[in-house]
Amino acid sequence: MNEEKLFEIVSRVFNIPINEINYESNPENIENWDSFTGYVLLDEIEINFDVKLTMDESLEIEKIGDFINILKKKGINFE
Amino acid sequence: MEFIKNMEIKQLSHYMNEAKMIKPENHKNKIRIAFVGSFTLNGFEETMQVQCNDEKINCITYNSPYNQFNQEILNEDSNLYKFKPDLIFLIIDSRIILEDSFYFSNINSEDEKKKFTSKKFDEINNLIKIISKKSQSKIVITNFTIPTYTSLGIYESKIEYGTKEIILDLNKKLKVLSKNIDSCYVYDFNSFVTKFGEKNVIDYKKMYYGDIKINFDIIPHLIYEFLSYVKPILGLNKKCIVLDLDNTLWGNIIGEEGIEGIKIGPYPEGRSFVEFQKVIKSLSENGIILAINSKNNQKDAMKAINEHPHMILREQDFSCMKINWNDKISNMKEISNELNIGLDSIVFFDDDPVNRELIRMSMPEINTIELPEDPSTYAEILRNLNDFNTLKITKDDTERKKMYNQEQNRQKLESNTENLNEYLKKLDIKIKIKLDNKIAISRISQLILKTNQFNLTTKRYQEEQIKEFVEDETMIVGCSEVEDKFGENGITNVFIIKTKSNEWIIDTFLLSCRIMGRGIEEGIVGKILEIAKQKGIEKITATFIPTEKNKPAENFLKNYGFKKENENWVFLLKNKIKIPDHLQVELK
Repeated sequence: MNEEKLFEIVSRVFNIPINEINYESNPENIENWDSFTGYVLLDEIEINFDVKLTMDESLEIEKIGDFINILKKKGINFE
Repeated sequence: MEFIKNMEIKQLSHYMNEAKMIKPENHKNKIRIAFVGSFTLNGFEETMQVQCNDEKINCITYNSPYNQFNQEILNEDSNLYKFKPDLIFLIIDSRIILEDSFYFSNINSEDEKKKFTSKKFDEINNLIKIISKKSQSKIVITNFTIPTYTSLGIYESKIEYGTKEIILDLNKKLKVLSKNIDSCYVYDFNSFVTKFGEKNVIDYKKMYYGDIKINFDIIPHLIYEFLSYVKPILGLNKKCIVLDLDNTLWGNIIGEEGIEGIKIGPYPEGRSFVEFQKVIKSLSENGIILAINSKNNQKDAMKAINEHPHMILREQDFSCMKINWNDKISNMKEISNELNIGLDSIVFFDDDPVNRELIRMSMPEINTIELPEDPSTYAEILRNLNDFNTLKITKDDTERKKMYNQEQNRQKLESNTENLNEYLKKLDIKIKIKLDNKIAISRISQLILKTNQFNLTTKRYQEEQIKEFVEDETMIVGCSEVEDKFGENGITNVFIIKTKSNEWIIDTFLLSCRIMGRGIEEGIVGKILEIAKQKGIEKITATFIPTEKNKPAENFLKNYGFKKENENWVFLLKNKIKIPDHLQVELK
């Protein structure tokens, strides 16, 4: 469920269909993912999951899977 | 933030995506907007494009390269100038301008700090002056935000010229600057930050990783405020507020509860309405026209308006009152006709969702405001509208209410007079024409930007361009003041003529809707023809460019006696020039 919620946010921010998103999605294979839209994505994830990523966590993100790992650490369930 | 949810403003990602879907060139109103800033302004362009598109404005934007505002402004060949903007937003933040003084202002003496502030202001002053020389664009500079934290804390108030005072001083200087340069406006960004709160506006993590100094969910609100400049440049600001009465201007229903039972006054349920009426009244003082559209017994309603001790708005504040049992649509049509104001210039307040839906469906041009059930929100909703801004408040604006009231007296005379000619003679109309009058430029520009109906060519010129025309020897910029037995109408006509050795070309000719239907246009054109003839000109060429709204001017040239020649209308000055005999026309 949370995976679906995350993918919906990614889909909305980058304006791409949900079925094109997976754990390996990254700026190389998502055209609209640039440094700025990357920040927008981070912002929307923080708001919608009600979490705050630290500076270091924010800078570590290279692909969608990284978000999931960080969110899991913050107690959000991705089973 | 509850406050944000109340307004129809969406998340930044919505605008980022929508911007890609906008079809270019699909609106008549066009504007070119440049953002020049000292920090990351990504997202500004897209949000502006979409918010403009929602208002039926075609907006083309430009964003200066990151933190290169100095280079962009100083270099004559920069992309900023090549873009030819109509409007530039210059957004410099306090940290950049104050450098280390933002943090460590107290190590220097007061004298040193004042010198430093002057130097910093001179830099900005210089930038603004250069833009105003190199570009015809209007310039909006955001003022500097006063930080909530300073190292002196509570002791700040005891020392001379601390960080907060330095910024206040800079902001004060900016205000003086904008008073001296016509094309420059200062946007009160400090108030914006106060409104949304520094904690919400600044997200330090974003500031450090991306030099993003305005939080994403705040950007759409800032752009909404920036639209306040866009609308009046395009003449899209609203001129009239139409109001319902029961549960809109006061609580309860006058027809049922009587004057004693309605809620307005200094007690909890009454204060919402007092405040709402005060905001309305303050807008009317700046030239916004007020009207009533209410289903009520006129006698009951008028008694409340005239006699209730706590009413703020009284009979004389309203230029048109439709208090009856007719449907709201016909009332609205009559208001629009009697005030000679287009539906697209009207904002409508009504507490009843059914009435709102009715007006929205049948008159979509009207901005019908969505009101929540709680009247304590009304005043704030009205204050948040960006529709009533003007770039200039002229004498005509503040006197408009008086003029509309005179107009009502004229209409009374008209309905008491059987024959139109007799009525026109009774009006005793005097027209004073002025040529190349520099004092009137702001009013001339205002008319050029907003006159839709009696406008032969609907060419929109900004104040800066009109100044150039006035200076140009080959061009004539004229305007006319009209007065009659009921009072003065002020400047209500503008014409721009391009002169050649034996021909004058009418580039612009317009008449304010206030004075249409009295043959005034014929008097003015007749006088222009006479002046041309005296100067030995042989022919006058004019054009009519049809728009959705200028039907009232459609047959004017033909009826006056101009002859169609290809796309143009021509009057040969050897022909007889007529001026209607109920008019006294003079050249000042």
